[in-house]
Amino acid sequence: MTLQVKDIAYVRSGDKGDVCSVGLVARGPREYAWLRASVTPADVKRIYGDWVRGEVECHSMDNIGAVVVVMRHALGGGATRTLRLDQTGKSLGYALMRLPVRSAETLS
Amino acid sequence: MGRIVRMGAGSGFWGDALDPAEELLERANLDYLCFDYLAELTMALLQRQKLKRPDAGYVPDAVQAMIALLPKAKAAGTRLISNGGGVNPRAAADRIAEGARQAGLAGARIALIEGDDMLGRLDALVAQGVPLRNLDTGDEDFSAIRDRVVCANVYTDSSGISEGLAGGADVVIAGRVSDNALYVGPLAHEFGWRRDAAHVDRYAAAVTLGHIVECAAGCSGGMSSRFSEMPHMGRVGFPILEVDETGDATITKLPGSGGRVDQWTVKEHLVYEIGDPRRYLMPDAVADFTSLTLNDEGQDRVRVSGMRGEPAPDQWKMVVGYQDGWIGETMAFFPWPNAYDRAVKARETLLERFERMGLAADQVHFDFVGLNTLHGPAAAFPGREWANELPEVGLRCAVRTRTQEEADKVRRAGTNLWIMGPGGTSFGTPMKPRPVIALWPTLIPRDAVQQKTEILVA
Repeated sequence: MTLQVKDIAYVRSGDKGDVCSVGLVARGPREYAWLRASVTPADVKRIYGDWVRGEVECHSMDNIGAVVVVMRHALGGGATRTLRLDQTGKSLGYALMRLPVRSAETLS
Repeated sequence: MGRIVRMGAGSGFWGDALDPAEELLERANLDYLCFDYLAELTMALLQRQKLKRPDAGYVPDAVQAMIALLPKAKAAGTRLISNGGGVNPRAAADRIAEGARQAGLAGARIALIEGDDMLGRLDALVAQGVPLRNLDTGDEDFSAIRDRVVCANVYTDSSGISEGLAGGADVVIAGRVSDNALYVGPLAHEFGWRRDAAHVDRYAAAVTLGHIVECAAGCSGGMSSRFSEMPHMGRVGFPILEVDETGDATITKLPGSGGRVDQWTVKEHLVYEIGDPRRYLMPDAVADFTSLTLNDEGQDRVRVSGMRGEPAPDQWKMVVGYQDGWIGETMAFFPWPNAYDRAVKARETLLERFERMGLAADQVHFDFVGLNTLHGPAAAFPGREWANELPEVGLRCAVRTRTQEEADKVRRAGTNLWIMGPGGTSFGTPMKPRPVIALWPTLIPRDAVQQKTEILVA
């Protein structure tokens, strides 16, 4: 069975201006290694297409086993300007739960 | 172990429930109860209200809450701290003083914190050579929006709050202080933290703790990925902080309240709406969220310790709000069978209406509700055949225009669909066009900001 990020992590998503910030919290140490291997800026850019127009950064937090994904120009102009229903990106980060899990050991 | 300061979160946003705050006052034996009401957009909305009525511009819920809670707070020895003053903290403080007198609490002390409102000083800042570059877009041409500016507020630090508490305030009412300053201020006051190298980590700890609890139920089960495991969220307990002099703390909630506090609910909120977790930039300190340790300490108790950080930055964030056209929006829903095909046909019809009406739009956006409203391109399309088997599909259209008249064409076109649309077209109440206030985040030197603290006696 192919695991997805939804199977190994919790998520919380929100906004700051036109930036969408997504916190992914791994459910354990093994899952944390997988999470880091499975969520890269390239993966994030690919899944969102033209809904994320700026840079993507993935910040690791070893102390709590989390990855913070910061996506710029990701909210259609920000909460007050966007034409999207989810003005503050509360659900946007949940799309990352679709990403397939790469096992860290299989990465070169 | 030294002295412990007990603080509660009374509100996480404008719209939060008041009963959890009342329960905290009655049962939690708090030193401080802190209320956050402001989001990025709120200041612009409040500024508009103040333009219409000079005595408006504060968060009405905040003033009502302070007045309603003050008798209980006085009885419990709990001091109330809030940023609900919005763009008119003076008017809010006057109302609270008046309410306190009417409640028989003459002599109550209300600290008023001003100095975050830079609307009247923008041109002076520009003249001084402050670039006001847009942090989001990199745009440096502030003059292009200058005529359309409606508000400009600096996220200020906790020093005004500490000063107000030192002045014996029962209630502190501020404008755009940073959310976590509501928690940093009382701790700095209680423990006498100086702004020196020896206390940098303590300020960073307080900023971190403020971040964890400032959205109230956000760290006690609200918004949780584990929503199905969270008991009785309708009577959730808001978080309580027990903080010692070093800045280490325990996060907990009232026994018997709904929700949960464990390492996972705290982790979920620690990562909420942040940038680089190593540099959580706030006017009181730059906190490093990767330095702390979290430990479950028994039921609904989480220990947070070891926070570190760097001194407060030389520049503070200012958010300028400016008028930026209008948005028109319309929505309709379609039934099985072939609900998706009906929505596609309705989109075609709407576009024809826009053309006939000569709609001048800067941007036109469509969603198929039930398919791609929330995730756009990240929501894989399941195929037309599958989509046509859905019990219902909606069509949402939002359009950006320069004028209200243009935006209203979207409402009218949406109404035209009631009979021009495919069979089964159904709809709710038509939506009025809404004005857009865009935000221009920027930095200004902290020296340019003068916080003022004043004590009013009821």
